[in-house]
Amino acid sequence: MSRFSKSVLVLALAAASSTAFAFDNYKGIGRDAKPAEVAAWDIDVRPDFKGLPKGSGNVERGQELFEEKCASCHGSFGESNEVFTPLIGGTTAEDIKNGRVGGFVKGDIPQRTTFTKVATISTVWDYIYRAMPWTAPKSLKPDDVYAILAYFLNLAEIVPGDFTLSDRNIAEVQAKMPNRNGMTTDHGMWPGAPAKKGGIGNGGIPDVKNVACMKNCKPEALIGSTLPEYARTAHGELADQNRSFGPVRGTRTLGPEAAKKAADASTLDLATKSGCMACHGMKNKIVGPGYNEIVARYQGQPDAEARLVAKVKAGGQGTWGSVPMPPNAHVKDEDVVTLVKWILNGSK
Amino acid sequence: MGNPMKIRAANKDGVTEVKVLVSHEMETGQRKDAAGAIVPAWFITELVAKHGDKTVLSCEFGPSVSKNPYLAFKFKGGAKGEKVTVSWKDNKGDSRTDEATIG
Repeated sequence: MSRFSKSVLVLALAAASSTAFAFDNYKGIGRDAKPAEVAAWDIDVRPDFKGLPKGSGNVERGQELFEEKCASCHGSFGESNEVFTPLIGGTTAEDIKNGRVGGFVKGDIPQRTTFTKVATISTVWDYIYRAMPWTAPKSLKPDDVYAILAYFLNLAEIVPGDFTLSDRNIAEVQAKMPNRNGMTTDHGMWPGAPAKKGGIGNGGIPDVKNVACMKNCKPEALIGSTLPEYARTAHGELADQNRSFGPVRGTRTLGPEAAKKAADASTLDLATKSGCMACHGMKNKIVGPGYNEIVARYQGQPDAEARLVAKVKAGGQGTWGSVPMPPNAHVKDEDVVTLVKWILNGSK
Repeated sequence: MGNPMKIRAANKDGVTEVKVLVSHEMETGQRKDAAGAIVPAWFITELVAKHGDKTVLSCEFGPSVSKNPYLAFKFKGGAKGEKVTVSWKDNKGDSRTDEATIG
């Protein structure tokens, strides 16, 4: 498809052949790929047109095919912006002359289209041949692809309306591609040797640097920006929504105070649901004692929690008067513990 | 003179569908350039489509229409080989006419 994937393929093949040496230690395991097997994988069309099938197609035929198979998504003139970005547009006669789309240089390009971006016509050919139409990829014959591409080139005003594109003149078209000089390889994504040593990339130097500081370092990291207060709770407590293991944790969006309040609020819900609030008030006696009274009586007693848990479960009578508390077998044990802890902590 | 329009016209079951891609800057007159000066308004004001001598579409355009407008419409009648012509005028007095053969 692109130079890039070809290079990866070459690397992969190199890796495969080197592993073949490794297999010498394991006689009878694995074998070299046969030429036919490699050929079955080697389906791309390179910018130097290696791998390009023979064939030809003219603009008129391309228009028919495009209208029939492509226009429903791409628009009759490749202008549609509804399913994907437009195919055609944004290029000028000047760009065709310079080989660089002026909109990118000046930065005033309103929108990218396929023909403003693509540097190599082979890429478009290869893509259409392999991936289009979306509903029936690989259904186009090489001649169909040449025709459709001729139609594109005519729409983009690169070739005249009576043009016939073929494997023999595609190189001449490449020399007119509006963004043919727009591709850079001077970055770490390109494998192999640097350009000055005959490779295509920068020798694998990464685009970013993260050097560990060894001296005169900042004493601490300063937080440059934070979520504004009003926005912090927009998605609830993020810390509770992330996994508790692994490198990524959600921040405590509600803050420790608010998180506690939220937890308490849910305990209050639990108390209401469990039927406690029918007889006990937060700060007043109803039938049974208020939680504030309970706290006052049991404060400072280390075994209070265990005794109260037992009392809540089994019910009781006499401590606070003659009205009995019924047993609460319907409340789960862990909920009882939660509730008792909550009451003893002031039920706030 | 403007740049040529791209026009497709196709007849199917007695109805002709016409698609037009007009090439025009369509400046609203509201934009400012890098220097802060207002880019003068420059837009199509009228567009007429004819089938032979008969007007099948007539519209008034304004600054709210996009750059390089795309237009699609259908009319009853038309036959293969007949001509559809589309012409526009803009606020600078420029105009252009292009024609296509119904296919």
